[in-house]
Amino acid sequence: MNLKLFSKMMAAALTAVEAKKDELSALDGATGDGDHGIAICEAMNAAVAAIKPDAAFKQALNDMGFGIMMATSGSISTLLGALFLGMSDGVEKDELNGADIAAMFASGLENVRQQTKADIGDKTMMDALIPAVAALAENQAEGIEAMFAKAAAAADEGRASTKGMVAKFGRARNLGERVIGHLDAGATSITYIFKAFAETVA
Amino acid sequence: MIMKKFINEPGNLTTELLEGYTMAYKNKVKLVNEKIVVRANAKADDKVAIISMGGAGHEPAISGFVGDGMLDASVVGDIFAAPGAPKVFEALQMFQRDAGILLVVLNHAGDVMSANMAMQMAERSGINVKMLLTAEDISAGLDTPKEDCRGLAGCIPLYKVAGAAAEAGQSLDEVCDVASRFNDQMATLAVAITNCTHPQTGQAISSLADDEMEIGMGQHGEAGGGLSKILTADETAKRMIEPLMTATEVKSGDKVQLIINGVGSSTLMELNLVYRKAAQILEAAGIETVPGVIGELLTVQEMGGFQMILCKLDDDHVGYLQAPSNAPYWTAK
Repeated sequence: MNLKLFSKMMAAALTAVEAKKDELSALDGATGDGDHGIAICEAMNAAVAAIKPDAAFKQALNDMGFGIMMATSGSISTLLGALFLGMSDGVEKDELNGADIAAMFASGLENVRQQTKADIGDKTMMDALIPAVAALAENQAEGIEAMFAKAAAAADEGRASTKGMVAKFGRARNLGERVIGHLDAGATSITYIFKAFAETVA
Repeated sequence: MIMKKFINEPGNLTTELLEGYTMAYKNKVKLVNEKIVVRANAKADDKVAIISMGGAGHEPAISGFVGDGMLDASVVGDIFAAPGAPKVFEALQMFQRDAGILLVVLNHAGDVMSANMAMQMAERSGINVKMLLTAEDISAGLDTPKEDCRGLAGCIPLYKVAGAAAEAGQSLDEVCDVASRFNDQMATLAVAITNCTHPQTGQAISSLADDEMEIGMGQHGEAGGGLSKILTADETAKRMIEPLMTATEVKSGDKVQLIINGVGSSTLMELNLVYRKAAQILEAAGIETVPGVIGELLTVQEMGGFQMILCKLDDDHVGYLQAPSNAPYWTAK
């Protein structure tokens, strides 16, 4: 993977969340303040807009993180910005093999974990992100297509699992068991992003 | 509750109050980039810069403590709202220097989130900055992890100590050490007796009955659990200073600074009574009080009540508290 391919993946992910903007906000509206669709689109837009095609991969990821943090605010901005800055920390080359890709996303996840204590089972985007990043690592020798296909499937499975969960973070926390039966909006947008990644590399 | 306040367009409130403040104290402070208050006369850049941040609506905090000997800058958010990370990052860029920056952040979710983002951006931009989180409210109980405790008005004497250490030419590590020790040794407890309203929405931000008070209420009206019928000044002071003494583990022979911070509509008359009783209890326990402070440092609109802050001091803290400052709301010669 190089920056050119990753830029295509990001553009596809932006298109995907924009197509689902209303659905994502509606999911969030059931348990939160109903702005997730807007927030994730703004953040992804800022990331895509920050990419300079001639930049080194590491620098481009850094620019995406800065782009998100400078252009948007709120928890999605913090977490997604941290993801890209962390990914930048984990990249030293411009052409990445499977192991490099897995390491890049692992470094991104590690930085997100510095910003939130949410883990699997807390009904947040982490329910999709953690298994997706783990699937990249587990399948790093299988080729990029298989890696992202497995990551998207893992994210989707994580997303589905949020339906039965009680929220421990964000505004939904105050609703207790009333949130059971609702999918988490953050986990859903992460799933759409990884699905778009998988379709782009397929 | 009907809101009765002298305001104009609610959306312009923060801008207008910062403009008024910096016009009045133009010999000491100025407003730059809309929401950053800096000293009128910048400190030499071979000294550590001290920056803090927080929402408006708590005047004179935080910008009232920008000035020689205290803060170099305050980054202001909208009413009761954290400033965004880009504004904080902008201030860090503005004060970038080899000597470094200490960023003091009160532990409130929005502020911490913005500060963490700004710190990530600063570190990746080669800015030498350390962050210090204040979380000295003890209302949640002494066994509560620091990360779950709020930062109240104890940040203000901490600005004084950190600012004086920086002015004395201490390195970033040294300033950080002085301020961290101060932070670890202070404790605050708040009490509210009357409610207040959000100046932009008119919404009541607490719901105390006419004959009630609440010890432990936060600076946005968050419940603290210590609800009771209203007590006398002496009874209230006793009920607050004792847990603060336990929290700070002060003992006979120790030196402390006692601060009574009025949060809005409680009169200085009442605050004097409270200081008196709390100081008497400290003195009876053999604890030495250095000159204290009674006044409005960090307010919560027209809420009635006060925050009692007890700071256990090391020798260097005593000196730094006495060092000169010309911040509009904390002057020392």
